[in-house]
Order: sequence, then structure tokens, then C-alpha cells
Amino acid sequence: MPPQASGSSPAGGRGVVTVILILVILTPLAYSIVSRAVAQNVDTAELFLERPDPKHQECVRDTEYMRFHHWELLRSTREEVVRFGIRGEIGLHRCRDCHTSRERFCDRCHQATSLTPDCWGCHYYP
Amino acid sequence: MDRRDFIKVAGGTLLAGASCAYAFRFLNDTFGVQAGEGVQLSGRRWGMVIDLTRCRSGCTTCMEACRVENNVGLHGDIRWDNHWIRKVKLKSKHAAGEAEKEVILLCNHCDKPPCAQVCPVQATYKRHDGIVIVDHHRCIGCRYCMIACPYNARQFNFVDTEDWLNKEHPKRSHGVAEACTLCAHRLDVGRIPACVEACCNVGAEALFVGDMNDPESEVSRLIATNAVKRIREDLGTEPKVHYIGL
Repeated sequence: MPPQASGSSPAGGRGVVTVILILVILTPLAYSIVSRAVAQNVDTAELFLERPDPKHQECVRDTEYMRFHHWELLRSTREEVVRFGIRGEIGLHRCRDCHTSRERFCDRCHQATSLTPDCWGCHYYP
Repeated sequence: MDRRDFIKVAGGTLLAGASCAYAFRFLNDTFGVQAGEGVQLSGRRWGMVIDLTRCRSGCTTCMEACRVENNVGLHGDIRWDNHWIRKVKLKSKHAAGEAEKEVILLCNHCDKPPCAQVCPVQATYKRHDGIVIVDHHRCIGCRYCMIACPYNARQFNFVDTEDWLNKEHPKRSHGVAEACTLCAHRLDVGRIPACVEACCNVGAEALFVGDMNDPESEVSRLIATNAVKRIREDLGTEPKVHYIGL
């Protein structure tokens, strides 16, 4: 009797293993693609901007950049201000002009991602 | 593929990847934005002159103005109160001459700051314009600077400040050292420090802040034309706060 006929044949086992391996590889990729799509849907659904200030035409960077890299911008600005005394346009005071509520603007994402930056021990944000 | 070929391919891939990574680093250096890029050294060197002959006895205007401007903590407890600028009474050991004198003390913004030398994390440092300042984001609260400072100008935030009088300016949370910044945030935008402004407003005009590198400035003129003294010059810290009539 040829071994291929049996259910526990080496060839059938190899097929199952291959499928599982492909699934394991593809799942994170698919997850990231889907979650990104969902995130972009959320973007278009609700914007964080609560009170556009007539002083400012638009944000200092585009929305996508600000969402993921605002901390880099704030950190480099901080270095410039504290170390070199260059006080430019960018700063928490400027965020504050348009995004009036800390709870709705900052805390919402930081809570979801369980981040606790300690800006507000010293800097004012209503 | 035999063993020899495999090793060749693997080695080649590794070498190519490493060189790519190396090249990318240079690309980033060339095109990326670097921290501190475009820093223009102003060539300024801020200094202060305190005319004690004009300073009014019992007047606390500068101290109050500093407290309001910089949110310096006042808790009603002598152990935790912070004073960036303060007034002390000096008593002469010799009976002859004036018996008592009031002296304003604040951070001297030394040219060779001992506080910055001892700071283990470079949180305290001297800016290019001579102001000695604390990066509170980096301070770990070890209090070495308080021990190092011969002028007792350094203060420690033992508790959080409750009052927030000037919301445009940050306060300090507990666990960081602080001292007078010569109102760097005001000097950077071309305003004079809060204490100087307040002193001018009450008409005493005992405090002057200006650029010591500029021979035309009021501060340089006062230093040149008066017998100015600095506190503890023997220590070699080169303080930049000059006293007239000390």
C-alpha cells in the first residue's frame, strides 16, 4: 500500500505546514493594512480641530505628519528653544490656539496608546 | 548550491547591505534636518549691574515681579520656598561706618559656572549668550549644582507649585533644581527681564541688564565708569552680576 493514500502522509502534512506558515507571515501584514485603512477612515470622519484660530491659516505641518511625528517636532523645537534660545512659531502655545482642550486633543490618543508624556506638570494647556 | 557558493552569496549580500546602510547614513546627514542647524550665535554676553545706592530699603518689587513672571513657588513654608532673586541684610563687623546694608542676590551667571561643571547630565549649561540655565526636561534632581554654587543661588523644587500666575511661562514640577534665568525667554524676544522692568516702573532704576560685549550698552558704560564689585571674585567663577556701592 502506497503511503500517499494515508491522511497522515508526509506530502499532506507538508501542505498544511506551508499554509500555516503563509498565514503566520501574512497576518501581521494584513493587520497593518486593515488597521491603517480603518485609521484613515476615522481621520476623514472626525477632525481634531475644534476652533480654527483666525491668527493661523493652517497647521505648521500637514495632518498626517502631525499625527505621527508631532513629538519629534516638539522635541526638536524644545532643543532649539532651551539650548539655543531660538523662539520660533512652533510650540505648545501655538497648538493651544486652535486645539483648545487637552482632554480631547492630547489625552485621547495618549490614553489609547497608554503614553504618559509629562508635559503638563510644567506647561500650561487648558 | 554547494557550501562554497552559499558562503559567497551570503557574504556578498551582507557586504552590500552594510554598505547600503553606511551610505544611507551619509544621505541622511546631507539631506536630513539636523538639530541645531542654522544656529546663529548672537555674539551677545548678557550681564547685570545692580546699583545698590539707588536700591530702596525695604522695597520688594523686583522679587514680586520675578515671582509672578517665572511662577517661582511660594508655599508659606521656609523649607520649600524658592527665591530666584532675594534681598539679604549685611551687618558690618566693624562698628564704624554704616551698620547695615541690603544687598540683592541672584544667580550670577558665571562665565565659569561651577553648577554646570558638576551637572552629571548636562542639564545645567551656559548658553552662547552667557546665561546659565537649567534644562528642566533633563534635570534629574541630584542637587549637585546646589552644593557647587558658592552663591546659594540654586533652589530645589521640593513640592509642585500650586499657583500658576503667568500661564504663558512654564512652571517647574517637583524634583528639579532651578535658578534665575535672567528672564531668557524675554531677552530672546527683545524684552528686558521682569525685575528690571519692575524696578524701572517704581522709579528706582537700580537694576540694569544689557550686552557686555557691546561697549555702547548701558551696562558696559556703568561698569566702565563706576567702581563695580562682584561677589566672591576670588573664587574665579567670573560672575557677570556687578554691584555698585557694595
